[in-house]
This record gives sequence, structure tokens and C-alpha cells, in this order.
Amino acid sequence: MLTYTPGDTVVHRLDPRTKLGFQFAFALVAFSAATLPQLAGVFGVGLTALYLAGSSLRAVLRAYWFVLAVLALGPLLAGLTVGSPWFRVDPAVVSVRSVVRIVPILFVSVAYVTATPIRETRAAIQHTIPGRAGRLFGVGVALTFRYVPVMRADLRRVVDAIAARGGDTRSIGERAKLIVTLTLVRAFRRSDQLAIALQARCFAWNPTLPRLRFGRRDVPVWMLSAGFVAVAIVDLLGV
Amino acid sequence: MITVENLTHAFGETTAVDDVSLTIDDGEWVVLAGPNGSGKTTLVRHFNALLEPDSGTVRVNGTSAADHPVAARTSVGMVFQSPRDGFVGATVGADVAFGPENLGLDHDEIDRRVADALAAVNLAGRRDERIDSLSGGEQARVAIAGALAMEPDHLVLDEPFTGLDWPAQQSLLDRLDDRYAAGMSIVVVTHDLRDLLGRADRVIGMQAGRVRFDCPPEAARERLAEIGVRVPTPDSA
Repeated sequence: MLTYTPGDTVVHRLDPRTKLGFQFAFALVAFSAATLPQLAGVFGVGLTALYLAGSSLRAVLRAYWFVLAVLALGPLLAGLTVGSPWFRVDPAVVSVRSVVRIVPILFVSVAYVTATPIRETRAAIQHTIPGRAGRLFGVGVALTFRYVPVMRADLRRVVDAIAARGGDTRSIGERAKLIVTLTLVRAFRRSDQLAIALQARCFAWNPTLPRLRFGRRDVPVWMLSAGFVAVAIVDLLGV
Repeated sequence: MITVENLTHAFGETTAVDDVSLTIDDGEWVVLAGPNGSGKTTLVRHFNALLEPDSGTVRVNGTSAADHPVAARTSVGMVFQSPRDGFVGATVGADVAFGPENLGLDHDEIDRRVADALAAVNLAGRRDERIDSLSGGEQARVAIAGALAMEPDHLVLDEPFTGLDWPAQQSLLDRLDDRYAAGMSIVVVTHDLRDLLGRADRVIGMQAGRVRFDCPPEAARERLAEIGVRVPTPDSA
């Protein structure tokens, strides 16, 4: 799974609020894209964001192959019919169009995650959403970003430990039960340890957050985001 | 100074700490020794109010830890047995800054503390590195830096050498020697006293939740076996 990688790319240097705004606008325009050229354009922007963040298509494919595989199943399932003709092209094409929009959104999200420190995301959220809701959301997002990779590593270790002692000879049901139970136990243990570590370091809901500052380099991104929102609105209204 | 008076803590039917009284003076190096399950970790978790006593009191610099947990936690820096479970930041700098940020300090002060703490553990200039790219020894030093950034008077380390190779252990000990020389009290919780007896001012031996002895290292050497702790050879002490 891709996580924050320190660096000095264009995307790293953007204000996190700019990056969050861009993601939102890009998702809008991606979902409103209907024609092939529009979809190609959305794909191009997604890949450019990846490149500018210092990430690569290969890294995304390696880290998220399972997501892409699940997405690829969508059109197949949509096209299947219970009886003859067994497969219909039209619903599959509709599904492909939906799925194709999700992939570039994934690219932009990866660009954000790899180029934005977790605490800056928390700061951006708390600056944007005032009050208790912002604090709660900020902490929640920060902890999720930090611990999802840890939990995935735990899951990998559980799977490896089961396989290392011949567990793969057992039925899928038995293995699934073991994996779920052990992963849950580890998750609870991690939560416990994390809670203690947070307490020991005087966890505060409203700490000093990192300085956030808009710069000149944020302007073109905001303009592009505004353009995306405008295009999406025009498309949605059918003007 | 940390003062523990008649502290008792039970988990259900099991009494982990049983009527313990002791003091840790400022600038003292204390080893808290005992076999697994002797109550060492439970005891030190009371030092910075991570647990509430069933009975008894813990005072840090004269203030009740239970009544003033934030004061206790800023005075007693805690480094856990598995530091990687307690990392909150993805990068070295982000994690070390976590504590000072929680204290609401201004950015310049946070930067200064992070820089000082990283320098103290020989990790200056590495604040932008990802923690999971570091070796086990370096991760242990990041955990210590995280505690030092709170500028505590006392540093408590729970089994800090577990999983570290010898050079990493020596590097960690060198850093602790520096802190000790700077006047900080050091409490090391361990069941393995190699390289520690020669450094400690005092050894407290625990077994079954009780303090069995509290004496200088030379005297403790004679009594370690009775609590089930391996006695280090003179060369390794």
C-alpha cells in the first residue's frame, strides 16, 4: 500500500488544502465525463498528477492490483445474464464507463497520499472544518492513514504465519476464520497500545498544528479545480 | 523525584503490584529488574498516570500523578517495550513533534525541541525519513527522542533492548549515558541486566508484584538469582 514518501516534488510543495480541493473537483469532473475524449482527458490528468507527485503507474498497479481486479470484475458481472444469451454487451459497456472513471480518481488519490504528510492532512481538515467536527474528523483521518498500512502488514504476517505451518492445506472456510480472528485480535491489541502511547504523550484534540500557507504555486491548481467544477456543473445541467 | 507509596494494582484476580513503596531521586540511574509477570511494567505505567492505582499514591515532583496526569506525563518520559506500536507519525520529525504539539507549544519551540531531541539520540538531519525505513535500533532511538522532546525530568524505558543487536544496544546505552550525565534520571525496566549493573546507582528487584530488594548494584548481584533473574558475568555487567 502506498503511503507518504518524503520528497520535494511540485505536489509535495502544494498546500494540503489545495490538494484536497483539487481531489474533490477532479472527482466531480471524472464522474461527469461521458465521451471518450473526456475520459481520455481525465485519465491524462490522473496520470500527470501521479507523475508530478513522483509516483508511477507501476507502483499503483503493484499496490492496488486487487482494487483494479475488483473493478474489472464489475463489467463482467454486469454483462452476465442468467439464461441465453449469457452475456450482454450494453450493460457491460455502461459498467466499463463507470469503472473507468474510478481509476484516474485512484491515481489522484495516490498522488495526494504519497505527497502529503499525515499531520498536514489533519491540519488541512481542522482548518477547513471548524469546531469539534473538524477535530474529530482530522484525528480520525490521521489515525486511519497511519494505521491502515500497519493493519495490512499485520494481515500479511497472519497469512504468512498460517502458510508457514502448513495452514494452506486446510479448507478455505477454516483459513478465513483463522485469518479474521487473528487479525481482529491484533487490531484490538494495536488499538490498546496506540491508546496508551497517545496518553503517554499527552494526546490533545487541539494541538499545535503544522503551519499551512498558500503560495503562488497553489494558484494554478485552484484555477484548474475551479475549471473542473465549472465543467462538471455544465455537464450535469446539460447546458 | 518520583515517590510511590503503598501502591497496589490488580487486573481482575491477579495483583500485579502489591503494596509497593519506593522513590526515584532526581539524576539517579535505577534498574527495575524482575522476571516476566513480576509487575515491573504495571508499576512504571503508574509513573505517568497511564493506570489508576487501586490504592496508594504516586507523586511526581511532589504532585499526584493520578490527579495531574498531564504534569506527570511531561515530567516522566515513557519509552515502551515495542516502540513501533506507539509511533504516531510516519516520519521521524512528525513523530517526535507529536508530544510537543499536544502541549500547545508554538512552532519555533516545537522545532527547537525536535532538533534537540534528535541531536540527543544521534539522529540529527534525519527528521524527514520514514520511520519504517529505519533499523530497529534507530526506531528505538526515535522513540526515545519522542519522549525527550517533552523535556522530562525522568526517562523510563521498558525493556528497551528487546530485539536489538549488540551495536544497537551499545548505541542506545551511550545515548542514555549522555542523558544521565546531563542530570536526567533514568529508569530501565528489564530482566536482562547485561551492561546495566555497571551503570546503575541502584537496582530494585521485583517478584510477584512486590519489591524484594532495593540496593546498590554490588549487593543486588548477590540477590538477582532469588527473584529468577540471570546474574550477568562481571565482564558483561
